[in-house]
Amino acid sequence: MRLLEVSNLRTTFRTEDGIVTAVNGLSFGLDAGETLGIVGESGSGKSVTALSIMRLLARNATVTSERIAFEGENLPDKSEAEMRKIRGYKIAMIFQDPMTSLNPVLTIGEQIAEAVRLHLGAGKSEARDRAIEMLRKVRIPLPERRLGDYPHQFSGGMRQRVMIAIALSCNPALLIADEPTTALDVTIQAQVLELMNDLQRETGAAIVLITHDLGVVAEFCKNVLVMYGGNLVEYGTAEQIFSRPRMPYTQGLLSSLPRLDEREHRRLVPIKGQPPNLLRLPPGCAFAPRCAYRMPICDEPVPLYDFGEGHVARCWLYDERAREQRPESQQSLPTVAHT
Amino acid sequence: MTNGALVEAKELYKYFPIYAGLTSRHVADVRAVDGVSFAIEEGETLGLVGESGSGKTTVGRLLLRLLPATKGDVRFENQDVLAMDRGEIRRLRRSMQIIFQDPFASLNPRMTVGEIIGEPLRIHGLASGRDVDERVRELLKLVGLQPYHANRYPHEFSGGQRQRVGVARALAVSPKFIVCDEPVSALDVSIQAQVINLLEDLQARFRLTYLFIAHDLSVVRHISTRVAVMYVGKIVELADRDALYENPLHPYTQALLSAIPIPDPLLEKRRKRIVLTGDIPSPVNPPSGCRFHTRCPVAFARCSVEEPPLREYAPGHFAACHWVEEHGGQAPQLT
Ligand SMILES: Nc1ncnc2c1ncn2[C@@H]1O[C@H](COP(=O)(O)OP(=O)(O)OP(=O)(O)O)[C@@H](O)[C@H]1O
Ligand SMILES: Nc1ncnc2c1ncn2[C@@H]1O[C@H](COP(=O)(O)OP(=O)(O)O)[C@@H](O)[C@H]1O
Ligand code: SF4
Ligand code: SF4
Ligand SMILES: [Mg+2]
Ligand SMILES: [Mg+2]
Repeated sequence: MRLLEVSNLRTTFRTEDGIVTAVNGLSFGLDAGETLGIVGESGSGKSVTALSIMRLLARNATVTSERIAFEGENLPDKSEAEMRKIRGYKIAMIFQDPMTSLNPVLTIGEQIAEAVRLHLGAGKSEARDRAIEMLRKVRIPLPERRLGDYPHQFSGGMRQRVMIAIALSCNPALLIADEPTTALDVTIQAQVLELMNDLQRETGAAIVLITHDLGVVAEFCKNVLVMYGGNLVEYGTAEQIFSRPRMPYTQGLLSSLPRLDEREHRRLVPIKGQPPNLLRLPPGCAFAPRCAYRMPICDEPVPLYDFGEGHVARCWLYDERAREQRPESQQSLPTVAHT
Repeated sequence: MTNGALVEAKELYKYFPIYAGLTSRHVADVRAVDGVSFAIEEGETLGLVGESGSGKTTVGRLLLRLLPATKGDVRFENQDVLAMDRGEIRRLRRSMQIIFQDPFASLNPRMTVGEIIGEPLRIHGLASGRDVDERVRELLKLVGLQPYHANRYPHEFSGGQRQRVGVARALAVSPKFIVCDEPVSALDVSIQAQVINLLEDLQARFRLTYLFIAHDLSVVRHISTRVAVMYVGKIVELADRDALYENPLHPYTQALLSAIPIPDPLLEKRRKRIVLTGDIPSPVNPPSGCRFHTRCPVAFARCSVEEPPLREYAPGHFAACHWVEEHGGQAPQLT
């Protein structure tokens, strides 16, 4: 049994302009202790996916799915009271901006203790000890003294470490980290990632790391899910995704990126055009308007092709049926079975 | 510094006073830029990197005199920028322009894109009437937009398109020098590359000179000729692009470079990271001596008392570090 198994998740929002389809039939899963990176550009549905699983979405949202199984139990079947027990206890979440998720009028100590008391039923002094222990774990100097401080008295990097302390205080089985380092400077990002790495090794929690930074994914994640227009377009191990990307969007992302180790000046190859309009997602490939290999068949719903060892990509180029239509440059591609 | 530089800053300072209490007493200063010197040659791109709050934006604004300097000297084509009167400053703005980080905040939402791009033409009397429209259409095409976009409002554009509008506005007056302040930081990678290529093309075509401010060191390596690294209001290292990336001397530069993850999992497995402890110090109360001594893995006694000067250790390669000085221009081995 996988720790988390999401199948056919669809999340839409009612807006003044019409129905926004933020997540469009997404399926994925992860095992206990695994690190999964979810990458994709702004608006591709990464955060909405996380919030849909946690049932933390705004009122204008409609979420449907076949199943969102966590430890074998279907989350959409849970009552709100049951969900409250799961959130923060079994599944913890940290966000890009720690200031919005920390309560500004409670001390850091109170916030950690509250989580521990609520979920672990710990007594007062036990909760305080746990709070000190957690602050020490996230390397806040002099934790006993910092317990009484308020969030604004901490720097951005420290606040994010406090968030991690709160998130991990109840030993969650799954931590969903949504852009946890995006607002931080690189030297502070390195501290936070190292910390998450150490704590994960220690606690065995699975981590879903949502980010737009492909470097962070390469450093941190075992598996990678690439999202585009609200759906999975490619999935595989970090090595598969970075050394043998199959979907033209993934390929495009990698070649549009300047690299720190770039010795020769290489002209970047941008992806032309704009991200898709979520008010009008096409039935076929959402990337088609920007794709250099677009074929007539691309306007039809795209199956998921299986490249072996877990590597899958959503692109017609690999279909036997598209053989005739493929552009000259892509004739030598293999055709594979779809899932 | 070099002769024939297009832009030159010497011992440039900017302190922002902090007032407190009922009497608004002057209690301290944010020492945003604290004695910075560099020169930018015609046609080159000087990259300016550093973490947030290190003073990059302030340097850019001082050069254009969008902010008054506390003290120091700024030269543009050997003219004394800080001594200019209002008329001279207005003329200067025809030669020096800026592109801002936030493509959402930097365009007036009530003006059409055509009005935004045409405004500098009118202000500087470079065109009037029909000629403005003609020039606006030209500029739109130049930055990869369509002439009909002139009638639209900024909110109808994506981030990348808005940044193109910002570039067109800066180019309207045919400047020689552009401060690009984090021009791609707010953009998605796929769009970032479009704007970077555009800036490169325009530079080649019009022989533009850039000060390219960014915190993304990969982007800076790609676009710069030389690179300066700032830490808490000071330049700690300045060198040719490849020298800086391949052979960084200053411990902070080394740590900064090692902290950037590279999108290559096999390489990442082999890379050793220098993880600094502690936070970035406040520019209100910068550490004594070398500002980096509170986080530097090789700091020694001298570092907390004596400020290291920016010295040239190889032709064109400057660093401000006592360790490097005492080791004959060698960089410490930190990993
Ligand atoms: N409450 C809401 N009402 C309407 N639309 C929404 C709402 N929340 C999110 N959306 C839309 O859903 C889409 C997906 O949003 P999401 O936040 O998941 O993007 P993301 O991939 O996390 O992007 P980013 O990288 O910018 O964080 C976007 O178009 C967003 O504007
Ligand atoms: N108008 C201002 N008033 C007071 N402090 C300022 C002002 N502008 C910038 N600062 C401060 O100066 C320092 C350097 O800022 P800035 O040049 O914007 O840094 P960077 O661009 O490197 O992030 C920061 O501490 C910032 O808060
Ligand atoms: S399905 Fe077609 S349009 Fe989509 S990525 Fe593949 S080739 Fe391009
Ligand atoms: S001067 Fe001293 S503290 Fe500063 S960088 Fe060099 S060795 Fe480190
Ligand atoms: Mg998001
Ligand atoms: Mg800035």
